[in-house]
Amino acid sequence: MSRLKCLSAGLVCAVALGLTGAPRADAAHITLNVWTIDLESQYMFPLAKQFEALHPDITVHVKHVQFQDINNDLARASITGDVPDISYIDNPYIDLFGSRGLLLDLAPMIAQSKMIDLSKFYPGPLAAVKYGDKIYGIPRGANTLALYYNADKFKAAGLDPNKPPRTWAELYADAKTLTDPAKHVYGLAFSAVASEEGTFQFLPWIQMAGGDYNRLNTPNDVEALQFWQKLIDEKLASPDTLVRSQYDSTATFNAGDAAMAISGPWELPRMAKDAKFDYRVALLPTMTAGSAHVSALGEGDNVILAKSQHPKEAFELLEFLNSKMPSVWNDWGFLPVEQVTVDHPNWPADYALFLQALQTARVRGPSPHWADISQAIQTAVQAALTHQATAAQALATAQQSVDATVNQ
Amino acid sequence: MKRSLLLGIGLVITGLYLFPLYWMYVSALKSSQDLFAYPPHFLPHHIVWTVGQVFVQHEMATYLTNSFLIAGGVTVICVVLGTGCARVLARYRNRWVDVALFAVLMTQVLPSSLMVMPLFVGFSEAGLLRTPRLAVILAQVAKVLPFYIVLTRASLSQIPAELELAAMVDGASRIGAFFRIILPLARNGILVTGILVFLQSFGEYVYARSMISQDDLQTATVGLSAFLGPNTSDWNGMMTYSAIYVTPILIVFVLLQRRIVSGLTAGALK
Amino acid sequence: MTRMIARFRDGSSFDLTLVALALAYLFVFAALPMLYTVVMSVQKIDMFTLGTLARPFVGLRNYAHVLAMPVAWRVATNTAIFVVLSVVLQLVIGLVLAIYFRQDFPGASTLRGLFLAGWVMPALVVGAIWRWLLAGDFGVVNFLLGSLGLIKGHIFWISDPHVALYSLIIANVWLGIPFNMLLLSVGLAAIPADVYEAASLDGASAIQRFLFVTLPMMRATLGAVLSLSIIFTMQQYDLVAALTQGGPSNASNVAQYWSWQLSFETYDIAGGSVVAVVMILVVILVAILYVRSTRLEQQA
Repeated sequence: MSRLKCLSAGLVCAVALGLTGAPRADAAHITLNVWTIDLESQYMFPLAKQFEALHPDITVHVKHVQFQDINNDLARASITGDVPDISYIDNPYIDLFGSRGLLLDLAPMIAQSKMIDLSKFYPGPLAAVKYGDKIYGIPRGANTLALYYNADKFKAAGLDPNKPPRTWAELYADAKTLTDPAKHVYGLAFSAVASEEGTFQFLPWIQMAGGDYNRLNTPNDVEALQFWQKLIDEKLASPDTLVRSQYDSTATFNAGDAAMAISGPWELPRMAKDAKFDYRVALLPTMTAGSAHVSALGEGDNVILAKSQHPKEAFELLEFLNSKMPSVWNDWGFLPVEQVTVDHPNWPADYALFLQALQTARVRGPSPHWADISQAIQTAVQAALTHQATAAQALATAQQSVDATVNQ
Repeated sequence: MKRSLLLGIGLVITGLYLFPLYWMYVSALKSSQDLFAYPPHFLPHHIVWTVGQVFVQHEMATYLTNSFLIAGGVTVICVVLGTGCARVLARYRNRWVDVALFAVLMTQVLPSSLMVMPLFVGFSEAGLLRTPRLAVILAQVAKVLPFYIVLTRASLSQIPAELELAAMVDGASRIGAFFRIILPLARNGILVTGILVFLQSFGEYVYARSMISQDDLQTATVGLSAFLGPNTSDWNGMMTYSAIYVTPILIVFVLLQRRIVSGLTAGALK
Repeated sequence: MTRMIARFRDGSSFDLTLVALALAYLFVFAALPMLYTVVMSVQKIDMFTLGTLARPFVGLRNYAHVLAMPVAWRVATNTAIFVVLSVVLQLVIGLVLAIYFRQDFPGASTLRGLFLAGWVMPALVVGAIWRWLLAGDFGVVNFLLGSLGLIKGHIFWISDPHVALYSLIIANVWLGIPFNMLLLSVGLAAIPADVYEAASLDGASAIQRFLFVTLPMMRATLGAVLSLSIIFTMQQYDLVAALTQGGPSNASNVAQYWSWQLSFETYDIAGGSVVAVVMILVVILVAILYVRSTRLEQQA
């Protein structure tokens, strides 16, 4: 408890320093260290260059960190004190770092800001960065899940390419029709891999069934997991679904080895290049006709670390990044997280559909214990799909561990 | 007749064993459609040569240099520290030697993945993380030193203690005998074990991954792990990278293999 | 002072110093971290409290917590299967190959040398290659087995929970064969030829010669190879990370990987340390049993 106090005191200090613009010699040159999951040519790298051009007194040093390593690296850096000023954090993990006092509360700066207006943000992305009345990050963009389908294969199988499946029952029926073992074609490709990606893919199904990460074992939830079981058991999706990432799964769709695929807008550039057929996008099918549609909220947030020596300049960079929201779709393939006008979006039909899906996209968690919760969910999915446990048992176990974690 | 039959079977067995390596090279040369073709093609239909591209894009020159420096440092420290210890442990046969050997082996129970956290904390306190490559070298030496001691001890124990005693009777000091008699005789064994230690350290992953945070100080294995991330199904790139990475090792190895095999067996043959 | 130097140069002090230097190094960089792991296993600690030294002592509570986890038993069995099968297969195949390539035919030693290629490959690379070879839908291993008529349909090497552990073992055996083969070749070469000749003259068959000459004379080598193989196998983390990541559903999860998962995926450093300490205890136990059994043999 006293440690917590200590941390929050430190936090207050850091904020105060940030607001007064504290010890900063006017002519001094400032270096901002930024960690991101982007590759050299993406998002943070070119945008940081643009920001430097506008602010000759600031150098931005951008470092690439693998998506799966960034939480660990941040935690380790917080031990050595060698933290960056700004970092990417995946949506559901904001609370983990926020609750440990490692992030700077941006709320006071946002209140003063002329460039960032929280009221314009969509509810899903905003919920991800809120922790009580604190704001621990600015969403840099969003993505979400939808159903890609191969219209040529629909026609060949005698299905109407203008009527993609809208319910789980239709999805099952279509997948069955489209599966062709002789030609090594599966009806559907998705990912149930034992990582955050698996949770990301599965959670919308639970949520469409009425549950959530902390309500996993209602009969409806069990039905959702049983539905996934059925897809794998009947080989409508490859057994390797359990070990393939979303990107790997979609690769099989692009190669024509799967007729439908569940994935996000990040696939579009590669699909335009690799998929030699007429592909289209539809909303994820709902549990029954007319029941709620839920999708997953992906992408992450830019945060300022509490230990940053230059919170003011770091926030200026965040403001600058946020001002690029109208072009994030065309430039980087992110959906905008606030109401902005996007001129001439690439792939306009797909853009419209993903934007529609985003409106019902829910953040995973948020919870300071997301790592444990996510693992409980992955374990349940994997146990059920490999028949180590029935769907009901697997989810009951998951619910137990989630309860234990949340109440600890 | 019998000998060519033996050779034939020997070739088949070796071929089977080396198939994964062959497949790595073939996959490195295939196009992405070719890669996922089923049935798979045993020779690439169109050769796609991306070696230069992968080498440059993934900054392999920097990575390989770092791997080389780290492996070299590990080998030097290992040979300096380990050879004397191995000699002494080979020279005496008693309960204390058994205890020492047992202790040495026991330090190897935990894999690097589990040693890394305490080492990281310790190195961080000691300020060693400011020289991350040195930190990796120090950690990796602890990983391969026991292995070096055990193997070198085996080949050193072939040198009779009488040789050393004879030298000392002739007026050489203990240290002189060690440097003038033992080391030259053991040269081959030390060289070979040193090479193996070098190669093991060249493939080190966990310590480099955790202790080196600057990209330009990073090693080639960590560079490879970029392909194992979520958004990668670039098998061609991965196989090309692997091929670039292991080919120099393999060449050195094939050139030296006769020496290595004889170096390890020499002691026993005498 | 000069006397001390003289003693250092000529006496046992020199020997002691040589051993002490290496042991001191290992103490600082290997034993201390292990002790630290033991300490962490009885503290309340996670990734984020690692930096502070004042951490509450919780006794064996972490142990109770980890050992009560449903996967604990699974991981323990998997680890046992992984280690035993890997070590036995490596040893048997390595021995067969060592004997085979000991025969007199052209190119024998060159071919034996080529096997070492497997040893110099980084485990991470080997894992990546095997993952590719063993892919369920388009992997070449499935194709080859299918065309030979050995399997119908596809085996999902990585995603079938009944198979994944064995895929891991296959790749690990592949990695370990060269080392076993080489050290056993050394052992074989050390057996004087006249012992065999004598046995042949006494009318011993090839199998009898193997059982009653080769094996007993190789005992020391076999013991060394065995203990090193066990250590290498228990250390095999890179391969698991690149090949199966312990999945699906922990079907191929082994202690060394699980411990890492606890520490670095769910930030439960205490839990990870518990698994590490249990691993240390088990190895010490096995080592003691091994030492005692060789003692008894000598006495008998």
